[in-house]
Amino acid sequence: MGSNPNVDPDRIMEKEHVIQDGMDISGHWNRMFEQRVIWDYTPELIDKVTEVEGGESFGWCYQCAQCIPVCPVDIVGDYGPRRIYRRVQTGEDLFESKDLWQCTTCMNCLRVCPKEVDMIKIMPAVRQEAILKGNVPEELQKAFENTFDYGNPLGESPKKRAAWLKGSDVNVPLMKEKKKADILWFVECYPSYHPRGIEASLALAKVLNILNVDFGILGAEEKCCCDSQRLAGEVGLFEEFAEHNIKTFKRYKVKDVLVTDPHALNAFRKEYPKYGAKFETIHYTTFLAPKMGELNLAKKLDHRVTFHDPCYLGRHNGEYDAPRDMLKAIPGIDLIEMGRCRENSYCCGGGGGGMWLDGFMADHVSERLSERRVEEAVETGADVLAVCCPYEVSRFEDAVKSTGNEGKLVVKDIIELVVESME
Amino acid sequence: MSDRPILIIGGGPAGLEAARGIADIGFKAVLVEKEGILGGTPVHSSYAALTPDFRPAKEAMAEMAAAVTNNPGVDVRLNSTVTAATGSLGNFEVTLNTADQGEEKISVGAAILATGFQHFDPGRETQQYGYYEFDDVITLVDLEKMLSAGNVVRPSNGEPPKRLCFIQCVGSRDRQIGNEYCSKVCCGVAAKESIEVRKLVPECKVFIFYIDMRMYGYWENEIYWPSQEKYNVNYVKGIATEVIKKGDRLLVRGEDTTMGRPMEVPMDIVVLSVGMEPSKGTIEMGNLFGADLNKYKFIETVGGAINTVATTVEGVFACGAATGPADIEDSISSGSAAAMKAIGALRRAVTT
Repeated sequence: MGSNPNVDPDRIMEKEHVIQDGMDISGHWNRMFEQRVIWDYTPELIDKVTEVEGGESFGWCYQCAQCIPVCPVDIVGDYGPRRIYRRVQTGEDLFESKDLWQCTTCMNCLRVCPKEVDMIKIMPAVRQEAILKGNVPEELQKAFENTFDYGNPLGESPKKRAAWLKGSDVNVPLMKEKKKADILWFVECYPSYHPRGIEASLALAKVLNILNVDFGILGAEEKCCCDSQRLAGEVGLFEEFAEHNIKTFKRYKVKDVLVTDPHALNAFRKEYPKYGAKFETIHYTTFLAPKMGELNLAKKLDHRVTFHDPCYLGRHNGEYDAPRDMLKAIPGIDLIEMGRCRENSYCCGGGGGGMWLDGFMADHVSERLSERRVEEAVETGADVLAVCCPYEVSRFEDAVKSTGNEGKLVVKDIIELVVESME
Repeated sequence: MSDRPILIIGGGPAGLEAARGIADIGFKAVLVEKEGILGGTPVHSSYAALTPDFRPAKEAMAEMAAAVTNNPGVDVRLNSTVTAATGSLGNFEVTLNTADQGEEKISVGAAILATGFQHFDPGRETQQYGYYEFDDVITLVDLEKMLSAGNVVRPSNGEPPKRLCFIQCVGSRDRQIGNEYCSKVCCGVAAKESIEVRKLVPECKVFIFYIDMRMYGYWENEIYWPSQEKYNVNYVKGIATEVIKKGDRLLVRGEDTTMGRPMEVPMDIVVLSVGMEPSKGTIEMGNLFGADLNKYKFIETVGGAINTVATTVEGVFACGAATGPADIEDSISSGSAAAMKAIGALRRAVTT
């Protein structure tokens, strides 16, 4: 038998001679990979979690199991708050466990939890302690270091944060020059650097110009909002970046902040105020949905479209209608819903650090969350999977390829569809 | 001895028993009921059989009502509500409003609030189980009505169900909804109804999805065990999380926790075991008499374990489900207790 790198050799149990019910099951035929009998329970390991600030509600689980069917990771693996509680109660140290890094903080468990066991607080709190002890998956650590060194998790040059504008004739003023604007557009990392993110950014810039929105961007002054790093446990990094961004915002006179990224929306609305931020944040779909009538959407698109709710726009921040209103305003689009949508939407797998844990996750799930979601989209008969979170375009496009659905389904940001129908 | 009667508000099991008890001892009672018929929720919500003894609810409540309607010690006021109350132990001045007859002021020595509960509305907070969406998702109360009519069928097509399940703890034990308490009766009622369904539709398979079955005392051997041993009801540990439509059936998704495996089980009817909340009358009457409500808006009792009917106002008592989730046995016992405490308090107030 080959050796499996996921199995700790010390935990393999094998008896040399065993005959059971007349059957010879000696040697590897009776091999077990862990102790079957529960010899004791480990309340101290539950205490270890609940004693961390933010981890308190972990101890409240009464095993009703409502979280399991809605946990996106359990659907492709063996996971969920109820199970984690039980494992910790029977000997698993969450601080050193693979279970610590699989949660995408999608919040679907909290939505249905009658006891309010809050993984959105528990996971970052325990991860923070684990990181301090140096226990962090390598690829995630790399994303943290990139963020620290370059201001973005991709490791791209901070000076080139506005380079996406090069070669485009669209007018995107810098706040450094403009000083004052109605709207400060916080572009974020993937929309600034990722090729598909850039395409969506150019589309949004074009629409803002057509609508005569008085806006500006920060360019090289902008740093990652850092919300996903925070949820992945890097709270110190988050604090530093929050303070930097808030200081930058204060330099200019703006009314509201517009974001492309629902993770930035979440950070600015819920976390930045703790560090002195005083501004309103709006997601681009919420901003544009009521303005769709002002655009000349002359070209009829012949698309069957299904829409993926981003966890941090929908469940975390309650916006389900604006993206749909935008899609419905585009002529020719036939909007069909997936089974899991709105409050019960599936997760792309990118949240809570998942964006930088694809290698790690591959060892623990039967398929990627993004692959499962793409299969659900294909099942509806849609030819376009519409998204409005910058994590999703790249994740779903990779998944379209890996599931062999190229040619059947394309992934597009809603803003790209809007611009298509204007041409 | 005070010549002032004791006011009882609510003609359900608790109020009926309190009124009968007061009259039996030789005091006078005024029983105020807002509906035109006595019997309370078991009658108004068309309960089929009582838990745990399976006695027809209508018959049992009629027996309780008969004990007060022809009783010279009880002045029954139907279609009446209390609209004002002042005074203190020994002398409360209350205003009654009776339909078609208008207002009347009466003096009473003490008051017993027996204003009961209402069933939790499973579509109020979340649409998790699709109660408003799917015809075949019903509540324990809806099933009681069907059982009373002797006709258990799928509301969507009128056909008898081949598979029916109960989902426990809907609207109870839930911090997000705000009802953190156990509603006490739903486990027993679900087990009782499961037996009735198996009797009425023997070919229907019946399942109960639960966190832990709360069958205190004799309910264990009187309902729970027979439902499993004699009527082959299937108990599965693990609450379903959602109900979705699959073809013309419902699919119940959850986790079988003892197996540690997800489950997706088809059903024809899903019964939500809804819990108890304070009735509108309980909140209104508590406020009218100045009695404190607890955080769930049931009437707060202040005597701890040794006095379950005293409220924050001297001379005002509460019993039955007005003080929190209670089954009929509990309600009737506490109706009796309230009668005794009210008489005792009144007698002491008058003699001292």
